[in-house]
Amino acid sequence: MTQATPASKKKRFWTMERKQSAAGWCFLTPAALLIVIFSFWPMIQAFLTSLKRGLPTRLTYCEPLWRNYERMLSDKVFIQSVTNTFTYLIIQVPIMLVLAIIFASLLNNKDLKFRGLFRTCIFLPCATGLVAYSMIFRTLFTYDGMVNAVLLGSGILSEPINWLNEPFYAKVVIIIGLIWRWTGYNMVFFLSGMQGIEYSIYEAARIDGANQFQQLTKITIPLLRPIILVTSIMSINGTLQLFDESVNLTRGGPANMTITMSHYIYNTMFTKNPNFGYAAAMSFVILIMVAVLSAIQMKVGDKR
Amino acid sequence: MKKLVSLFLILTMILSCTAALAAEDGKITIWTWDPNFNIAAMNVAKEMYNKDHPDVEIIIEEVLSEDVETRVITAASAGDISNLPDIMLIQDNSAQKFILSYPEVYADITGKYDFTDFAEGKLAYSIVDGKNYGVPFDAGTTVGTYRTDYLEAAGYTIDDMTDIDWDRFLEIGRDVKAKTGMPMLSAQAGAVDTVLIMMQSCGASMFNEDGSVNFTNSDVCKTVLEYYKTMVQEGILIEVNTWDEYCGTLSNGSVVGTINGCWILGTIMGVEDQSGKWALTNIPKLPGIETATNYSNNGGSSWVFTNGTDIDLALDFMQAYRNVDFYNEILPTTSAIATWAPAKEGSNYTAGNDFYSGDAIFAKIVDYTAKVPANQTGAFYYDAREALGTALTNYINGADLESELANAEDTVNFAMGF
Repeated sequence: MTQATPASKKKRFWTMERKQSAAGWCFLTPAALLIVIFSFWPMIQAFLTSLKRGLPTRLTYCEPLWRNYERMLSDKVFIQSVTNTFTYLIIQVPIMLVLAIIFASLLNNKDLKFRGLFRTCIFLPCATGLVAYSMIFRTLFTYDGMVNAVLLGSGILSEPINWLNEPFYAKVVIIIGLIWRWTGYNMVFFLSGMQGIEYSIYEAARIDGANQFQQLTKITIPLLRPIILVTSIMSINGTLQLFDESVNLTRGGPANMTITMSHYIYNTMFTKNPNFGYAAAMSFVILIMVAVLSAIQMKVGDKR
Repeated sequence: MKKLVSLFLILTMILSCTAALAAEDGKITIWTWDPNFNIAAMNVAKEMYNKDHPDVEIIIEEVLSEDVETRVITAASAGDISNLPDIMLIQDNSAQKFILSYPEVYADITGKYDFTDFAEGKLAYSIVDGKNYGVPFDAGTTVGTYRTDYLEAAGYTIDDMTDIDWDRFLEIGRDVKAKTGMPMLSAQAGAVDTVLIMMQSCGASMFNEDGSVNFTNSDVCKTVLEYYKTMVQEGILIEVNTWDEYCGTLSNGSVVGTINGCWILGTIMGVEDQSGKWALTNIPKLPGIETATNYSNNGGSSWVFTNGTDIDLALDFMQAYRNVDFYNEILPTTSAIATWAPAKEGSNYTAGNDFYSGDAIFAKIVDYTAKVPANQTGAFYYDAREALGTALTNYINGADLESELANAEDTVNFAMGF
């Protein structure tokens, strides 16, 4: 045991270091508290709710606690909604990202005229409201709508397709809508990433005899890897939470064949008999799915 | 800085003032949603009431139906219902769900209001455990309304459509289709309005008396779905995707007629150049079912009251809904049809309607309303409705009826076991 010297005993509590760190904490606390109160606390509450059942104002804990989570496995509509959401995910995200890269590399061409105009045109769909564009797509794809009229008029179809009332075509319409709405948004990320690639690299490649396609696959895409990672995480995240299109474009129909997970959660809460506990439990399942998928992507995509 | 502080103080004062909406304050606040319909009706009631009680302040606020529901959920979940108004309008189909889920919100008005002469089928929507919670607003009584010019072209009159059963309707439908190429009816795909209208006309609903779901054991339900499928397959009923398309089939004359709640008359009479071409009658009944009638209901709404508010004052104000003059005055502007039988004595009810070639359609509808069988809605009405819609869609596309109904029943039972 070493005895503390009298000098250190008398040392003042508020040293310079402590003062500074206290000041730091003072600056941090308000924001941190606000985040805790308005973001983390509700999340904890939501998790507790997901373990409860009963009338909305008289929720009690389930017996066993994970009952709501167990129920999901035997809920046909929920399983249908998961299948639908993953169908959108698997088909739509790759098509959209590939299109976005292609558009971005076309528009990154320095010799292209009216570049600004084209960029604006492709980005413009992102400025439309989700509900607004869904409603417009709904009108376009009705039985006597414009799409059928054009396809019939140009002789591509011999009889009209009932787009919104056949499971396959209804899904196609949603995917077309998503691609239209989000390609431009992702393209902007790729464009800004491409601006950061040194132009001389391309010049060197051209001197070595690389064609346009090789330049894209050998230079652009590898150098864009971090951005591809970000956009795909964002797209997957967004698709898993897809809501507006399912509600407004197809109303989840025909026969729940296009309903998404978020739409089903909304129905459980607001159109059907309110079941807070079950809805909260399903939201947490989505959270876990997003987390797992993002983690996989980070692992696969991050090769630094 | 001082200005900011005082602004903040003023804001808190305003907030705390408006928070006392439903308190016992001698004011009546009302939430309702349609300026041309229920708001207009309440404005008439307000004027009538203020003539005798000039000191009572009545505030009518426009709040959309979905927003009323969301606000009730929020207020009840927070445990503070003082922000709710004294009177709100609720969709009949949602009424039981909300009263059962949030019993502390709604006031039991049994014995405080005289319900004699209101149609029983209508009152049933807002009765829970034998207690009255609502005062009816408008009728959703179903009518069969057809284009007489199309019927005549096939050699029929409106009398041929009156008091018939669905077999006769199919016969006429096939004949009309053969002669004019016209489908009789149109409906929104996946929506079960027509199916539920047919079921309720037999006094059957999606639930048993004890609240359990009733699809697989219900002969009425199966018969109705079979008739519906036959009509779709033979092109007597065409399915469209959206509500707008459905309204379109009526206004552009691509169907002979429609069977729906009487509120559809607003849409039909909105097309003025079709005046004189329409006629109105009751709906076909299901053959082979003992309880079958020619009357049913689809839609409609009722007024409900917030607990612990100026209930006596609010109910005194609601006496307008037992007043012939009130119903008479709101009819021409709103087309809201009474469910209170004496209302049909009003001059606007007995007068002939020009659009319907001088027929006194509104008095007719009040008569129908009194004959509508009651319906069980319950808390799981929308769960069942959606499940039945899924079953119907799959059945029309060729799936087996029994197994689809069993599936639907499973889905609803699943929701009930929450």
